[in-house]
Amino acid sequence: MSALICEVVYRGIFQKNLASRITRGIVLSARKSGRWGIAFGRYGDSPQRNGIPAKDFAIVADTKEELEQNMARYEPKHVDVTICVDDTLAKGVESWAWYGLQPINRLTLPNGTLLMTSLQPFEDLLRDIHKKDEPYTLAVIRARASFSGLWVYKEDHTEVRILGALAKIAPEFLTLDGVCQAIGEMEWGSELKVASVRKAYERLEARQIQPGEGNAEVPYAFELPRWWEMREGVTIPAIPIGKPKEGGKGYVPERNPYFKKFTTRTMRPVVDFDTCVKCNLCWIACPDSCFDVMPDGTFDANMEACCGCGVCEAVCPVESCITMVNEAVFEDNASQWDMWRKDKTAYKTWLTDKITNKKATVRSHGFRFRGQYEEEIKTDLDAGGAEITAGIPGENAKHKTI
Amino acid sequence: MAVATKTAPAVAEDRELLISGSEAVAEALALADIDVVTAYPIRPYDTVMQAIAKKIANGQLVAEYIVAEGEHSQFEVVKHASTVGARVFCGSSGVGWAYAMECLVVTPPLRVPMVAMVGNRALDDPGAFGVEHNDALFVRDLGWMLVWIDSSQEALDTTLIGYRLAEDRRVFLPLAISADGAFLTHSQALTLVPPKAKVERFLPPYNRGDLLLHPDNPITVAPQANEDWVIEIRRQNNEAMARAVIVIEEAYADFRTIFGRGPENPWFEEYMTDDAEIILVGMGTISLPIKVGIRNMRAQGKKVGLVRLRWFRPFPTDRLVAALSKASVIGVIDRDYSFGSPFGSGVVANEIRAAMYNAPKRPPLVSFICGLGGREVTLEDVYKVTDLCYNAAKTGKSDTKTHWLGVRE
Amino acid sequence: MPETTFTNATQVLEAFKGIKKVTIEEYFTSGHRTCQGCESALVMKLMVKAAGPRTIVLGSTGCMYVANTTYYTTPWVVPWMHTQLGSSGAAALGTAAGLKALMRKGKMKSEPINVIAFCGDGGGADMGLNGISATLTHKEYNSLILLYDNESYANTDIQLSGLTPYGAHTTFSPPGSVKRLIHTRWKKNVAGMLAAGHTECRYVATVCASFAVEMMNKVRRALTIGGPTFIHSLDPCPKGWDYDPMLSHDLGELAIETGIFPLYEVDDGLLKYYGKTKAIVEGRKRKPVREYLLKQGRFAHFTEEDLAYFQAKVDEMWEKWEIPGVVPFKRLEAAKAALEVK
Repeated sequence: MSALICEVVYRGIFQKNLASRITRGIVLSARKSGRWGIAFGRYGDSPQRNGIPAKDFAIVADTKEELEQNMARYEPKHVDVTICVDDTLAKGVESWAWYGLQPINRLTLPNGTLLMTSLQPFEDLLRDIHKKDEPYTLAVIRARASFSGLWVYKEDHTEVRILGALAKIAPEFLTLDGVCQAIGEMEWGSELKVASVRKAYERLEARQIQPGEGNAEVPYAFELPRWWEMREGVTIPAIPIGKPKEGGKGYVPERNPYFKKFTTRTMRPVVDFDTCVKCNLCWIACPDSCFDVMPDGTFDANMEACCGCGVCEAVCPVESCITMVNEAVFEDNASQWDMWRKDKTAYKTWLTDKITNKKATVRSHGFRFRGQYEEEIKTDLDAGGAEITAGIPGENAKHKTI
Repeated sequence: MAVATKTAPAVAEDRELLISGSEAVAEALALADIDVVTAYPIRPYDTVMQAIAKKIANGQLVAEYIVAEGEHSQFEVVKHASTVGARVFCGSSGVGWAYAMECLVVTPPLRVPMVAMVGNRALDDPGAFGVEHNDALFVRDLGWMLVWIDSSQEALDTTLIGYRLAEDRRVFLPLAISADGAFLTHSQALTLVPPKAKVERFLPPYNRGDLLLHPDNPITVAPQANEDWVIEIRRQNNEAMARAVIVIEEAYADFRTIFGRGPENPWFEEYMTDDAEIILVGMGTISLPIKVGIRNMRAQGKKVGLVRLRWFRPFPTDRLVAALSKASVIGVIDRDYSFGSPFGSGVVANEIRAAMYNAPKRPPLVSFICGLGGREVTLEDVYKVTDLCYNAAKTGKSDTKTHWLGVRE
Repeated sequence: MPETTFTNATQVLEAFKGIKKVTIEEYFTSGHRTCQGCESALVMKLMVKAAGPRTIVLGSTGCMYVANTTYYTTPWVVPWMHTQLGSSGAAALGTAAGLKALMRKGKMKSEPINVIAFCGDGGGADMGLNGISATLTHKEYNSLILLYDNESYANTDIQLSGLTPYGAHTTFSPPGSVKRLIHTRWKKNVAGMLAAGHTECRYVATVCASFAVEMMNKVRRALTIGGPTFIHSLDPCPKGWDYDPMLSHDLGELAIETGIFPLYEVDDGLLKYYGKTKAIVEGRKRKPVREYLLKQGRFAHFTEEDLAYFQAKVDEMWEKWEIPGVVPFKRLEAAKAALEVK
């Protein structure tokens, strides 16, 4: 191997700065052992959106010529290492209309590595990660997804942990000392961060994944039309008007079949239909029109359309009627209302199990108040930055107002 | 010997009026029953808007007449009116056309069959009213159809043909009709105005069909596209421009049948070219001094002819190559400039050089720039052009120098 | 000319009497690529929900174009068309004029069709202001121009616009070690300016989607009253303002409760404050602006001095303006009187 190609799959704005630090870090670390490199983002993803999956790349090579060999394309077709800094992306990635659902490991080469930050056991991750025909390594750093917005960065050491892990995965390109040296020189570097690099290097967990191991689902895909099949005048058909849910009652909007957006979701609303007072607030306030109106006047968040912003929880006047729960604990996009109608007791059990799971309801999706991040990560940094489990200080999932 | 476009004798029901090129266009717009027209003042094109305003005030035309707050809005307003099915007209000159540039760019991909008049005018600075063709040529690469006219009659006829052509579902592209400032926009000539009945036989109503923006045809128009789509959309536009070639031939043929006049060859006018040794090429009203000059020179036995190019987009490559290959020397007179271009030539000269590249017979070509900023093109200029062409004929080589005529030196 | 039954009438859209009476159908559905918690996407949804199916929407360049309506990623049920960044005014005017011409000439079935053109704060308050101004003087054409204001060029990477608040962090105004605040201009008073400057425009309103039903009813009023009308909507933007997307709704409420963005309508020459702004005018205490500002990362660099300046400017709007929140200057004698009181 004379070149190392890495992709970082990240959550748009939430991780734009993080992803850029990682790819820059890869190049500058490899430079310490005399390698050439380039860091770039997939231009089509810009401007990034909150949550919508995007990609950055870093390529390092022994010589400039080898670097150019691997740069001669808009997006690498294969990567040695896929870096994923939010484990809910394990369910797949849909960046644009017609891209379909792309498995997180789609570009990962045979015997390549999928490097993730996650608190989930390997088994749980493999329920989401689609199977491949070739073996690869799944490497995990025990940490929560690190989300912060454009302006205030969350200094939780995620970027340096990834680089420390890469020193373990591709030592021939990123030596541990090289990474530490590079981090030390970064404007955002520090002694504590160098310590985190070494800890990540030591604590990296890895497992060989066999062909066929993983989620057996066949992801939906589309074939792009040819120029003469496309409508003229840059026109496309509008979305048809929706129809009643059943028996002329309720209402289900028609939805765009080419871009479902649910892979943008990191948390999903869990609705308690027994306590719903049918106030319509979640339905009216949803920017993605994801609530289907049920015949009984309750509202079912359509999991093909919901992108998980959480506004519905914020506007719901009833305690715990709508609770945002981490996407990782769900198996499918099935209708909650259908589940509830089928067996109300079973649904109550299912719901209670989900919304009382503090690890799954903990939230940290960007800035809420000045000083928040420092409080969030304090304990973790004292512990050497091995695990990030905190959410919003003192609030966790219990925040319906600000 | 081929003769210039003959104007057919006035058919009984035609009215003969003494009108300027701008007024002739306005007559055509009333006959075409346009629905929305937007105006903004700039010389010389605005004479057409003054003429339309009168017609609307006198009830000779029923249309929404909107005076915009700038050319940008002026062109956007008619663009949008056209997408809901309205027949529209617009126009500008010089830097006004430049100010509208963003809106000129979007009409071809949106397939908006707008007809616009460009009163050709020099670009600032300095502010100048006189003719130069650089303004209309801004859009030569963008999917606009470009035609140059040289008489009031041609102004009227080309406007009617223009709507028939632009609104053909196979085309749906915007058309700019270029009229030289002053020479055409401000001078009046005897012009035949046909009756409405004839026009209705020639020009069907504008039907936007599946591209109509209306609640009965819910579509999304011009959503933002990433690299997965854009080149296919450009490819579609290229196809539309290619189809325009066929539709132009059809439209002129029908025009001749119905109105009893109009050229056999839509693309360019050939004047005394059959036996010509020297063929001069130009666009617009420059044809007048050249034709007179040719007649005088022929009296002295010099075999000179003129090809007056009407259609610049789509460019009549094959027919033009065939016509020019007959000559022993081609002299191209540009009323535009293209600083730093190959040989420092004007746009038309280099376009013809490109067209001739694969021609089996490639006569020497001499290129000239003259008449900029409305400077008169004199008979002396025409004689000088011809002499320089004869020099090239002697050597048999193209003259790689571009000659500026009528400049104080 | 064929017979035509054309009248310049508009659709009569009665106000929704409460959230339960709101149209159930969606004319803007999912399929867009906007951020999680995008308030502007919500504005689009409510705007057409209020307008109904016989509506044409024109969208000028911006987030609600690029993110909201990407090729084959359309959320629109009603006909929608892009227009250039500065062209919302021309788009509304041209579409309305085209429909009117065809209807009065009998070339199209005569019916009132709503025409709505939207623009962002950049397209509306910066580049497109002259076009909007012109359209608001064309009283014979029925159209609504809705400005969705997320207070930056949020699509192109969050650059400051004429409606970006004082001191906010944008990619064109990054706080630096030497210069803490690069953007020190105060936000334009767009609705007030347009209401005051266009005497034949019969309806101008400010709205916030956090108050959904009222927002929709302003849209319905604007479309019903006829002629060119204008609505300015303040839209919290989780991306550019830097906050947890879950809080979009709450920040909208705070913008009103702090008095930073007043809610009012100028209906046929009559000014009416409404909602929580009405309460403020009637004496309810405004929340301190810091409660709003410090919940957004774009103001995280603010010092106490910056917060005080911002508060003072907002106080001035309520205490010193001739018409609080609407008209910033004061009549001389009134000013004198004010001085004498002191």
